[in-house]
Amino acid sequence: MSEQLTLSRAIGAGLRRALADDDRVLLMGEDIGDLGGVFRVTDGLKAEFGAERVMDTPLAESAILGTAIGLAYRGFRPVVEIQFDGFIFPAFDQIVAQLGKLRYRTGGAVSMPITIRVPFGGGIGSVEHHSESPEAYFAHTPGLRVVSCSNPQDAYSMIREAIRSDDPVLFFEPKRRYWAKGEVDLEAEPEPLGSAKVVVTGADVTLVTYGPLVATAIDAAAAAVEDGVSVEVIDLRSLAPVDFETVEASVRKTGRLVITHEAAQSGGLGAEIAASITDRCFYHLEAAPQRVTGFDVPYPPAKLEEQYLPDLDRILDAVDRVLGRENSLTGWSAK
Amino acid sequence: MRTEAALDSPRENADMNEWPEPREELVQILTPDGERLEQPLYDRWISDIDADALVALLEDLTVVRRIDVEATALQRQGELGLWPPLLGQEASQIGSARALREDDFVFTSYRENAVAYCRGVQLGDLVKVWRGTAFSGWNPFDVGMATPQVIIGAQTLHATGYAMGCKKDGVDSVAVAYFGDGATSQGDVNEAMIFAASFNAPVIFFCQNNHWAISEPVGLQAVRPIADRAPGFGIPSMRVDGNDVLAVMAATRIALDRARSGGGPTFIEAVTYRMGPHTTSDDPSKYEDRASHEEWAAKDPILRLTQYLEGEGILTDEVRAAVKSKADDVAREFRAECIGMANPEPMTVFDNVFAEPHSALDRQKQQFAAYLSYVEGSTR
Amino acid sequence: MTRDFTLPDLGEGLTESELVAWHVVVGDLVELNQPIAEVETAKAIVQLPSPFAGVISALYVEPGTTVTVGSPLVAFELDGPADVEVVDDAEPVPQADAAAKPARNAVLVGYGPPVEGGERPKRKRASRPLPAQVAPAGPAAERVVQDTPRSTPPVRKLAADLGIDLALVSGTGDAGTITRSDVLAATSTVTETATSVSAGTVSAGTVSAGLAAPTPVRAPQSGERETRTPIKGVRKATAEAMVQSAFTAPHVTEFLTIDVTAASELLAELRESKAFAGQRITMLALVAKALLLAVDRTPSVNSRWDDAAAEIVQFGYVNLGIAVATPRGLMVPNIRDADQLSLVELAASLTDLAETARSGATTPQSLTGGTISITNVGVFGVDAGTPILNPGEAAILAMGAVRRLPWEYRGEIALRDVMTLSLSFDHRLVDGEQGSRFLTDIGAILKNPGMALTMV
Repeated sequence: MSEQLTLSRAIGAGLRRALADDDRVLLMGEDIGDLGGVFRVTDGLKAEFGAERVMDTPLAESAILGTAIGLAYRGFRPVVEIQFDGFIFPAFDQIVAQLGKLRYRTGGAVSMPITIRVPFGGGIGSVEHHSESPEAYFAHTPGLRVVSCSNPQDAYSMIREAIRSDDPVLFFEPKRRYWAKGEVDLEAEPEPLGSAKVVVTGADVTLVTYGPLVATAIDAAAAAVEDGVSVEVIDLRSLAPVDFETVEASVRKTGRLVITHEAAQSGGLGAEIAASITDRCFYHLEAAPQRVTGFDVPYPPAKLEEQYLPDLDRILDAVDRVLGRENSLTGWSAK
Repeated sequence: MRTEAALDSPRENADMNEWPEPREELVQILTPDGERLEQPLYDRWISDIDADALVALLEDLTVVRRIDVEATALQRQGELGLWPPLLGQEASQIGSARALREDDFVFTSYRENAVAYCRGVQLGDLVKVWRGTAFSGWNPFDVGMATPQVIIGAQTLHATGYAMGCKKDGVDSVAVAYFGDGATSQGDVNEAMIFAASFNAPVIFFCQNNHWAISEPVGLQAVRPIADRAPGFGIPSMRVDGNDVLAVMAATRIALDRARSGGGPTFIEAVTYRMGPHTTSDDPSKYEDRASHEEWAAKDPILRLTQYLEGEGILTDEVRAAVKSKADDVAREFRAECIGMANPEPMTVFDNVFAEPHSALDRQKQQFAAYLSYVEGSTR
Repeated sequence: MTRDFTLPDLGEGLTESELVAWHVVVGDLVELNQPIAEVETAKAIVQLPSPFAGVISALYVEPGTTVTVGSPLVAFELDGPADVEVVDDAEPVPQADAAAKPARNAVLVGYGPPVEGGERPKRKRASRPLPAQVAPAGPAAERVVQDTPRSTPPVRKLAADLGIDLALVSGTGDAGTITRSDVLAATSTVTETATSVSAGTVSAGTVSAGLAAPTPVRAPQSGERETRTPIKGVRKATAEAMVQSAFTAPHVTEFLTIDVTAASELLAELRESKAFAGQRITMLALVAKALLLAVDRTPSVNSRWDDAAAEIVQFGYVNLGIAVATPRGLMVPNIRDADQLSLVELAASLTDLAETARSGATTPQSLTGGTISITNVGVFGVDAGTPILNPGEAAILAMGAVRRLPWEYRGEIALRDVMTLSLSFDHRLVDGEQGSRFLTDIGAILKNPGMALTMV
């Protein structure tokens, strides 16, 4: 059975399926009940499954995570919504110092099958703390799995797999793509979490990204065709662990790597991927891997986010750099 | 250990029965019908509020409501990214903010646009944040008001720290933290009250209980009146009618006086109602009961002051026209300031991250400048 | 004046909304902020207040239609300044050109999410190769995707400098990695096929044929076991010169391997010294200086066999040729009256000569009139070779790579800097005794630079 769904609705469909399949699954978060979440992801779920399983919580992110941990001790499978990326920080202690460490601390006795849903990223013209990309903090934290979806089908499949996982999973949802529509096969067996996917095949440059910038990268690959450049686009999907085999196979073919994400550059996912791929494919690299990222500044006001966010032109400028073509660093020759 | 019996009678413990009764009643000076009540404990704090001062308060309430309505329209017209209406909460904000001195310092949430107006923030500066041209519409030190806080409750700790500083400096300035009922669930707010009590800080916790945290009713955050929570932290509290500008002003003056005279923190719960959506992106029809909306519409803060002034013969046609004219002027200026606002220059995205040069950021800035001139050099 | 109003983003990144109802009809006079329409987004039903005071002149969409953010909704006829003074003073509401499709920008605060179903993505600036770069092999779609050869960046740079296509080179390093030696071995192969001169013959320029030739040398594709490259241009000229030289002048090559540790140390000292501040001084400069000193004691190496005149021309000056590999091919520009130059001047001349040659600015004059030459094959990592005489000259010295090797030193084995010199000379002009003395003189100076004092 296949349906045309927005990414937001596709996640909602995945949640509905998980709630129906396993009665230990419960949803927690601010405004997820009657309102259906500020992005309407949980629309209708409280009416369908009741307030005991779809719980509006008080406004306290640390408490939401902390009590989810307690519920997991009792064998529940909490799915927590953090309303906006910038609101996750009050819960940072519970996630990093508790959630990520519990299995290790207890010698494997305690499982923490908690899924933390986080709308993330910018591009929606919003106010401060509503456009952040905090994924690297969590990808850096041992004991946490981190994933990000980019399209409705993956969103539907990946949220179900995340809930099914016995490990804690940070599930980053690209909020500026919530309203993008796509065909979703509701009966498709979900793929296991952790694999990257080649979404555009190409020969000259490997372009790696995830979440909201996958659509931008696909656009960039289409625009590059006019330059006679063939770009291969990889949607990482899993940020911790990263499916380096897929990236490596591509880079062995193309010899060139560009990574793009909205998060700031220093210490980001791009740095990890560049380092690991340089390690794995050193002899295949024709040029130093390039990162196209947000700048090392706080996410700026809406009227400046166009400057901050990697876009098609900035990505293709990096593609030109790895190809040794004219680019912003070589300058433009008058001819 | 859990037993069935224990579960069945959880409150048999004698101590538990000694809870104080919930404090439901509100301090009220103006009733919703515009009748003025005798409140000896409070009246003396507002004895200076004469006819002119009352008209000034009416004008304030009217003007900030007009700003709010205009801003909502501007968002619908694509001129603002977002706007958090304060509709219904005018008296809580005007009554408290008009009680402050210039050297006091307020730390607010994002809905306190009427407070900002009273602090002297310029009209255009009110919307810079919502139009997205800046993260702070003003310099906090120019107006004695920090940049409104978006992270729920975080500003209460800042206010407490500021107040601790006032005390160390030996000045009698007061810090005021504005926050909502939802924020009282946050750890930060509870931690702020602990610090304020421990250090006897001259800070006022001004909680506007507007009944809603987006879609969540106040009952989810607090099963008893919020004002009852403060004494547990060692902080005296008042519960006032937040739609009564005089009651709010009196309560705030009491708290200010206590803070200035070394009495430490006070908690004020101003009970009001959010008559609009949480923000222009919200849809209250999904969760709000129409009956309570109607009930609160009848308690409107402007309506009751208008009725009172009419009854006192203060609100002449002339005064009414002057108030309307002022609101019209402000709305016109506000719209023009908003629409005429220049976008920030692209390279300013790198400004003010650090006080000192930063090699990594400087390199990114340099490369981005090269990129801009390269890309904008010509187009195909 | 007509003004369009386009659908704004009504709530944090929405891309579209449904127009539920119009509250106005064409011809209505509306006030600023008067509700004109009801719109349903994915989040809420909202009233749209009029952004202008004026007359409705067009309604672009029917109720029930889903409208993309940035699409025109309604047009207003605005009377004049009096009615719209607030708006007129200000920046106009950003509006989509009625003819254009909605793009990213439209009326959003920020630029909002991209609009689906927009135009084919296009970049602001077209991509171009760098000016110096060879054009790409062909449209991307036609290129064959294959596992790329593995090598380190410096080896790839070497291959690029020498014009070697790594697809043609088989790697002997770990896991088939192409090493520096593999690239150099490949240069010999190219030389062999192109000029029929024996392997190991060092004439650095000939290996650049791949780049100089109009058709790049490609790996033979499946079904095509050989490729044929026309012999022309620089490659042809070089080849002819080499063949002429190799088959007219009877070449003899002698080898001498020496401990040049002292010369290395001298170099290090010179680099620190004030006299050489800002100068690039290399082993080549020392070898050149040694050669120039040795020429004094064996003048016959600096002479010419003039067949036509049946004369031997003995030069009283030295124009020292230096073989340089350039992107355009082999060049042997020479330094005029090199014997008159101090070591500082010589080092400067060598740097200048190499840079000029690589940048393609070598003048025809500097390519003629050489009297004796040096070729530095050591830079390619090899030890020795049998250099072919530059036509018309009597001798050419090849200097090999300086290697750290176990070597006898003061009666014990020690790690020392060792280099092999290869001298080819025209046996018609130089007999074995002269050639050997010339070579050992150079060797003696490099082994112990102080020996130079005994030769001046």
